[in-house]
Amino acid sequence: MTTATTATRAPQPTRPRGSRSRTAALALGLLAAVGLLVLMAALGVAVGSKPVPLGDVWHGLVSPDDSYNSAVIASRIPRTQLGLLVGAALAVAGAVIQGLTRNPLGDPGLLGVNAGASMSVVLVTAFVGVGVGRTVWAAIPGAVLAAVVVYVVGTGRAGSTPVRLILAGAAVSAVLVAVVQAVSLAKPDVFDSYRFWAIGSLAGRTAETVGQVAWFVVVGLLLCFAMARALNAVELGDQAATSLGLAPGRTKVLAAIGATMLCAAAVAAAGPIGFVGLAVPHIVRAFTGADHRWLLPYCAVLGPVLLIGSDVLGRVIARPGELMVGAITAFVGAPFLIAAVRRGRVGL
Amino acid sequence: MRGPKAGATTGPTTDGPTTASGTVTARAGTQRVVQLGGGRARGPWLAVVVHPRPVLVCLVFLALAAVAALATLAVGELGISLAELPGVFAGHGTRAQEWALFTSRLPRLGVAVLAGAAFAVAGAIFQSVTRNPLGSPDVIGLGAGAAAGAAAAALVWPGFVSTPVGALLGAFLAITVVYLGTGRGFAAPHRMVVVGIAVGAMSLAFVQLALVRASRESAQEVALWLTGSLAARATGHVVVIGVALAVLLPAALALTRTMQLAEMGDDLATGVGVPVRASRTLAVVVAVLLTGAAVSVCGPIAFVALTAPQIARRLTRSSGPGMVAAACCGAVLLVVADLVAQYALPGIIFPVGVVTAGLGGIYLAFLLVREWKRVAV
Repeated sequence: MTTATTATRAPQPTRPRGSRSRTAALALGLLAAVGLLVLMAALGVAVGSKPVPLGDVWHGLVSPDDSYNSAVIASRIPRTQLGLLVGAALAVAGAVIQGLTRNPLGDPGLLGVNAGASMSVVLVTAFVGVGVGRTVWAAIPGAVLAAVVVYVVGTGRAGSTPVRLILAGAAVSAVLVAVVQAVSLAKPDVFDSYRFWAIGSLAGRTAETVGQVAWFVVVGLLLCFAMARALNAVELGDQAATSLGLAPGRTKVLAAIGATMLCAAAVAAAGPIGFVGLAVPHIVRAFTGADHRWLLPYCAVLGPVLLIGSDVLGRVIARPGELMVGAITAFVGAPFLIAAVRRGRVGL
Repeated sequence: MRGPKAGATTGPTTDGPTTASGTVTARAGTQRVVQLGGGRARGPWLAVVVHPRPVLVCLVFLALAAVAALATLAVGELGISLAELPGVFAGHGTRAQEWALFTSRLPRLGVAVLAGAAFAVAGAIFQSVTRNPLGSPDVIGLGAGAAAGAAAAALVWPGFVSTPVGALLGAFLAITVVYLGTGRGFAAPHRMVVVGIAVGAMSLAFVQLALVRASRESAQEVALWLTGSLAARATGHVVVIGVALAVLLPAALALTRTMQLAEMGDDLATGVGVPVRASRTLAVVVAVLLTGAAVSVCGPIAFVALTAPQIARRLTRSSGPGMVAAACCGAVLLVVADLVAQYALPGIIFPVGVVTAGLGGIYLAFLLVREWKRVAV
């Protein structure tokens, strides 16, 4: 188990001489990543299933009028904002879950958290009927419940391993998705709006949704960032963390709350999008190593890059229709899972 | 009196006393040896070890299947009473009754029985090859791969290959990716599971792509099929799965013996003369063909392949991959699940895949907890 975690390239503290230049390089890299994000956000507004000339894009952004192209651009803005929030939320949540469970395969989708959140959203929408805005609150109990059940089922007497947690996640997801399908078939009116949301889609969201989700994402991100240092210690194991004078229990609870908020907000807004939480931390670790103080900010920046990029791709490849972003991220992210297995990172 | 182990032990097994009459039943522990022909001098020309318990379990499964089948045929919006049923079969019913029976319910029942058996045998093979109940086709993404292949054949490149062929190609592609993805072939079941989850996710993503590109009507039809549905099956579906099963079930039975030996471990099995690699490859091919055929007629119905062989194995208390018991169990499970899906909630008909996914997922969780109490994964 420990070999699996230390395999994720711990930073080398034995080289103090290089540490300053390393910090500078990482900071520069983060800046470059932000630049990439800006570029991707611009693409998210400019490119879509309906081709709009660049001049009209600029016109629609700066001085929107009643033209059709302006309306198209206006509809892409909340979508891109949502991609920003959801991408950051999923990637950071994935990184935190991987650190917390000391499991390189941590991902809200694989561990059943997304399925739990979507189950409670569908149940609440079907039987209580609250609007989209309050679904973030609706998503939280399901997310927590699924996380707890997966953890209990996946932790045998001999402790948990990545594979056990993943299998438990698959089993719990199967049951929860069956519940979701049953409810959505029993209530066709729910099913209609659910079809796209069920795969994970950024399409058709309003600025109102973005505003409501933003609060959850910001609070969750801050909570996770605050725990970054302590998460480094947790990854060394409970005993090591305690002997370093930290309280691993408190760290774990707070970080889990942060990650759950992020997952719930992301699912409520965009549906269960898988593999962003798996792929982005895996890519980022190649640059930053396992230090959460760099890992989490990088994830927060590069998560949206992947998500918005996937969304743009989904709009382009299936013209005139569009492919839900959740399907694209599965294509992009699943190979990382296979690669992790092949390299033996999961302790198999 | 050919039990599930029929063909498992052929050859001159002479455990018990032989008489000149030819057919002898002798007890050796919990198993009986049935011998045919021959005399005291030459020995019997055929001797079959029959375990009474698996035979009993199979008979119980068949009885259950018969009850569930009668219910499937009789119950419905247009009820056909059990007394009327033979009459309608003979062609003396009303037109509505005949339509309901021959066009709707019989194909549905046929697909349920045969596809359930096919899924279960495929599951039994895979669980035996990976020596792990979790290595079943559902968990390692085979069903999803077949679904993606079928969707590709039906929606993306229509007319290029037929849907069953597409499902087969998809299943083979999925198993190839799983095989290559683990880095150790089929020797690492847990790696197979994780890679299979990735393959399943990619397959479902591809299916979504196919759905988006398709017209709305065909997309809705395929979406229903994708959860696994037995609604609106035609006689053609029964023929496809029936032919597949007729060819592949004997092949699976013929492989049972070597697979049972291979379960002891590669080295030991090679030591006693079993061509482990060849028989494993052959078994996987048979299982993939079975899965592809079943998926092409009723969609990737979840977890029948996982649960049926496990239930059968526990009830028969046998060590090998009891194919016949698994097949009977799969048939019962799918027919009963279909009844539940149709009539559990009045007014709502679920696709049967929803029912099996819900119940099967719970069973999988139960299996995980049980397994991990005993052994470390």
